[in-house]
Amino acid sequence: MDRSTGNPLVTDPEWVDEVLLAGPADAVCLRLPAPVGRAALRRLVAEAQAGLVDAGLRPGGAAALRLPPSLAYVVHLLATWRLGAQAILLDHRLTDHEVDRALRRLTPQVVVAPVRTSGGALRVFVDVTAGVTGYADRPAGSGHAVIQLSSGSTGPSKVIGRTAADLVAEVHRYTRIDGVALPGERIVLLPSMVHVLGLVGGLLYALHAGVELVPPERLSGDAVLAAVAAADTPATVLGVPFHIGLLASTRPGRPLPQFKRMTTGGELVPAAVARAFTDRFGVPLGNMYGMTEVGVIGTDLYGRHRPAIAPAPGMAVRAVDGELWVSCPASPYVGLSDPTRWSDGWLRTRDAGTVNPDTGLVTIRGRLDSQVSVGGMKVDLTEVETSVAELPGVAAAVVVWDDGITAYVQPDGPLSEETLDKLLAERLAGYKRPRVLRLLDQLPRTTTGKLVRSRDALRSAATS
Amino acid sequence: MTGRPDLGRADLVAMLAELTAKPAAEVPERIGSMELAWLVHLVEQRYERPLDLTDDQLARIRTVDDALAVFRTSLTVAADG
Repeated sequence: MDRSTGNPLVTDPEWVDEVLLAGPADAVCLRLPAPVGRAALRRLVAEAQAGLVDAGLRPGGAAALRLPPSLAYVVHLLATWRLGAQAILLDHRLTDHEVDRALRRLTPQVVVAPVRTSGGALRVFVDVTAGVTGYADRPAGSGHAVIQLSSGSTGPSKVIGRTAADLVAEVHRYTRIDGVALPGERIVLLPSMVHVLGLVGGLLYALHAGVELVPPERLSGDAVLAAVAAADTPATVLGVPFHIGLLASTRPGRPLPQFKRMTTGGELVPAAVARAFTDRFGVPLGNMYGMTEVGVIGTDLYGRHRPAIAPAPGMAVRAVDGELWVSCPASPYVGLSDPTRWSDGWLRTRDAGTVNPDTGLVTIRGRLDSQVSVGGMKVDLTEVETSVAELPGVAAAVVVWDDGITAYVQPDGPLSEETLDKLLAERLAGYKRPRVLRLLDQLPRTTTGKLVRSRDALRSAATS
Repeated sequence: MTGRPDLGRADLVAMLAELTAKPAAEVPERIGSMELAWLVHLVEQRYERPLDLTDDQLARIRTVDDALAVFRTSLTVAADG
């Protein structure tokens, strides 16, 4: 720890070889579908390292990776760490405007981006030729191994850093969770490796444990099942709830004895969806709960505790005034951030929830940030938003607190404020009704399609 | 289209309604990448063949009507070919 800044110091890069790249030369790490063995991966990483150095990356500097899921992403990420540098992960779906803003803020020494991309539509992994260009000549802003930007759907984007030690601890945490893919098995990987579930639960854990990573040829139910069927070893499908729907609506053409489990992160899965999945495939549907800041917090990989999860080994979870707090040794935030989010080894999740005192099981009950007080009455903005969004003629809505409840509404056809107000008056108590209604042709969204909830962005969209 | 009724707008709207758990009448005209992946998947399931779509074709799809036009072309080409 740097006492003057509170930032972590750079970790010795040997952890990459020890924790991620060790293993027999011919052991397969990835199937794309051509197998990539450990020796080949180590060679590709060394080549990428040379390219990064040529472009100006130095130990203690940072490389921004703006790459879609690809072998190029994997090797440049590992090469950056192996140099003792920091990797700034930028979702490839970000706009130029968003990327420019991130680069100005984080000043990496180099930027890695595709110069050529090929592959069919709806690909999960793409074939990328990466180019490395110099950007700034400064050391990284902190000693974190990885920097990720928060999704931005719940407020201004936060810069979240995780140290090498923290990533290694999470990888080891996975090895102690009952129900994860075992050495020699396969993970059919669907989530992006830029975000925590795909990055640590998929890529880093698989490299460490000797699990093959198998992205399906493209994003469809048939392709996922084809990836499961492609070998005889047990396969775990890692995804998000959307992917459960894809599989539940696919008719497998043959028995799949190697299909071991599907595990999803993200929001809770409705019980009916879980049943439809297990009825069709007869394998457990596991659930994981985690955050970018700390990685996996808890799991229910056998679907026995739904909707609750059991804290992962080494993670402590407690409920304080209805909010879940998780153990987190140091603040994960870089630069300006809300000082109340982390203190004394605890991170406030902003998730409402309970911890069962007898079993330790944790139940998440939704976000806390959406509750406001109107004249002493508690109003959940989610309730208001749902009511607005369900009105006929409304395509989407965001409801925020902006000196009063304010609704931004994207109509799905002709709709006047007067009609909207009248319809709402029929469905919501007076104190819950928005005081301000703003009709917009298109609500602002993040690159992943989530509605933006920042008041500034909404105000600016309403006046532009 | 080989024994299956022609793909209609109402079919796509019904597929989107299934994804969003909304009544068909409330399914928005505009679609994003997730809705598009869902539609491609279900159309492929229905016609029991992959849709051979290019990145350019997919990038042009912004609405249910766009998707319908691209899917119909792809299914026709596949049936002819």
